[in-house]
Amino acid sequence: MFETTKVILTENSRSLKNKMREAPILYLLFSAMIIFSIFIFAYATFFFINIDINLNISLEDVFFTVFFMFLLKTVADFYNNFIKASQLSYSLSTNVKQTKTITEVFIAILLIQITIWFSFSILFLIALASFGVNVIYVFEYTIFTIGVIVAVCLGCAISINFFSPKKYRLLPMLILLGFYFQIREPLYVIFTLPLTIIHVTWSIKNSMESHLYSTRKERLKDKTQIKIRNTIKTIFHRETTVLWRDKLLYSFVFTSVSTGIFSGYLFLYGDEILIPEALRNQIGGLLPSMFLFLGIYVVIMYTGVFPSLNLFLNEEKTMWILRHIPVRNDKIIFGKVSSLSLCFLTAIPFIPYITIFTGIEKIGFLIFFLIFSYIAGIIISVPLGVKYVGKKSDIMLLYSVSMILFVILSFASVIVNMIERLFPYPIILYILIILCELLLLYASIKISSQILSLKYKSAS
Amino acid sequence: MIIVNNVTKSYGKIIALKNVNLKFEDSHVIAIMGENGAGKTTLLKLCTGILPFDSGEITVDGYNIINDSIKAKEQIGYLPEMPYMYERLTGREFLFYIASLRKIKDSEEKIDEITKMIGIHDFLDYEIGSYSKGMKQKISVTSAIMHNPKNLLLDEPVYGLDPLTSRAIQNFIRNKKGSTIIATHSSQLVEQIADHVYIIMRGKVILFDKVTSILKKHGSVEEAYFHIKDENV
Repeated sequence: MFETTKVILTENSRSLKNKMREAPILYLLFSAMIIFSIFIFAYATFFFINIDINLNISLEDVFFTVFFMFLLKTVADFYNNFIKASQLSYSLSTNVKQTKTITEVFIAILLIQITIWFSFSILFLIALASFGVNVIYVFEYTIFTIGVIVAVCLGCAISINFFSPKKYRLLPMLILLGFYFQIREPLYVIFTLPLTIIHVTWSIKNSMESHLYSTRKERLKDKTQIKIRNTIKTIFHRETTVLWRDKLLYSFVFTSVSTGIFSGYLFLYGDEILIPEALRNQIGGLLPSMFLFLGIYVVIMYTGVFPSLNLFLNEEKTMWILRHIPVRNDKIIFGKVSSLSLCFLTAIPFIPYITIFTGIEKIGFLIFFLIFSYIAGIIISVPLGVKYVGKKSDIMLLYSVSMILFVILSFASVIVNMIERLFPYPIILYILIILCELLLLYASIKISSQILSLKYKSAS
Repeated sequence: MIIVNNVTKSYGKIIALKNVNLKFEDSHVIAIMGENGAGKTTLLKLCTGILPFDSGEITVDGYNIINDSIKAKEQIGYLPEMPYMYERLTGREFLFYIASLRKIKDSEEKIDEITKMIGIHDFLDYEIGSYSKGMKQKISVTSAIMHNPKNLLLDEPVYGLDPLTSRAIQNFIRNKKGSTIIATHSSQLVEQIADHVYIIMRGKVILFDKVTSILKKHGSVEEAYFHIKDENV
């Protein structure tokens, strides 16, 4: 009974333990960051409860943030544990009903999400209680927990129907999500639990055509583009082809534009929207520059740091290709890093969109800080990606890098603000800083190449 | 010629190969046999420079695989056991990618010739992600032999291939100059194309002999394998 569920849970927990053994410092850092973040959130909650001011962030906003996070995580988890899980073919070929096996996968994913939810929420409540806040909110907690279950049901159904030849089956879920968006009331989400259970049950019954779903894509148009190139151009071309075909570049541009508009809007109206009137005079002045900083941070994380980490993290099973060909390590890294220039182009739309709100006078600073942050992101990410080569989608690594970068860029932002005050036209200084950073980037590539060699030579 | 001199390789506490000495001479087809986990695939990965080793030395045509890795790798063609490739590239793009990195002249003609020979030419413009295992194996075989390497290292070369392609690859190996090293479980394949055979057990070489001598003594490679295995257990 529940053999498939047990296997998935065992595999997940062993994989986590294995990763912790392989990179203990990274995971220690990650755990510390998680606990720190939870305590910061708890303290902020305590602070706003104590000053007795209605914060402009409602419980509904928090509910839907949690809801969508679990929805997205479930879509990804179900994809990995069912749609693309060729190892599941063994249990699907036994005399156990296939629907039962897939239901067990669903149960395993539900248990994983519920465990994550309980672990984080209980830690948050403990942190809150340690500040002396009364944490008995049984009704709210139940609503949030049912919300997570609804998100898991919907996430599984979306995953099944998205990776299926019959994509029109997604329609009921899109209508439901549209309904949630329109109503914005957690109670309505809770009331739809029976509906989502019916839908996920029906989807599981019709899910076999989604298992190992793939379409045979012919690319005759691209045939003319194929030619012999030099090493760096060849690697550049491969990396950019994958970025293009995975449609990541579109999503980068979308992120840059939407972050530009969003942070620009908050730059102008963030004080009024987020800060209670009583506090506006004290901390409101800090917000505009904070939103500029956060906007750039989000854009470079998405368009620069994640792709540069993935340059090597994604080489999980294909590393043999790069290892057995007669090409120097630094050329491989140069080729891969050069593909990030295309990703950088997708970050540029951030500037004109945010400038609509900030005005033209800040454009010099914005351009400089975007380039500076982007290069800084690559300098940090590439050696770390090489160090942990093959550890695909290591969320802990991504989180740790983002935290390191946040600290570095925060300091940099303070220094740049000081420069702006001391020198009215610091363009030459900006150029010098960027040139120094390019030298550091070169050093980072060389170090990465050494790490790649050391990984090989250390044992011999 | 590939010389493996006193090489030891371990994965943590597990010793995969211990003080192994092997010599793969030119103009010979040498098979490596052994039970699962004996160290066959590891040995090929060490010879191609994919994996590091703890001690010893490997040279490929006189070039050290660590210190002169570029020169050594130029002399090698490698077919892995599991043909993992970039799934979003088409077969043609992947082959041109390898051809560019290896700086192969007349690569277009060579790719056309080999892919026609092994029957994958009509599918070259489809993404690799949509290929069957056999189709991936064919692309991988093409990438291993298209630069006409002096030393060819093949891990289960005919596994997953149809009989026609399997025969075409065997013919290619027979007519090839330089050394060919095949790691396989198929005693039939060894009898058909190999000149010499190494049998590895628990990371140690327990037999090296000519295939013809083995056939004389034991009647078949399979019988010899069982006999030697029983002796060494």
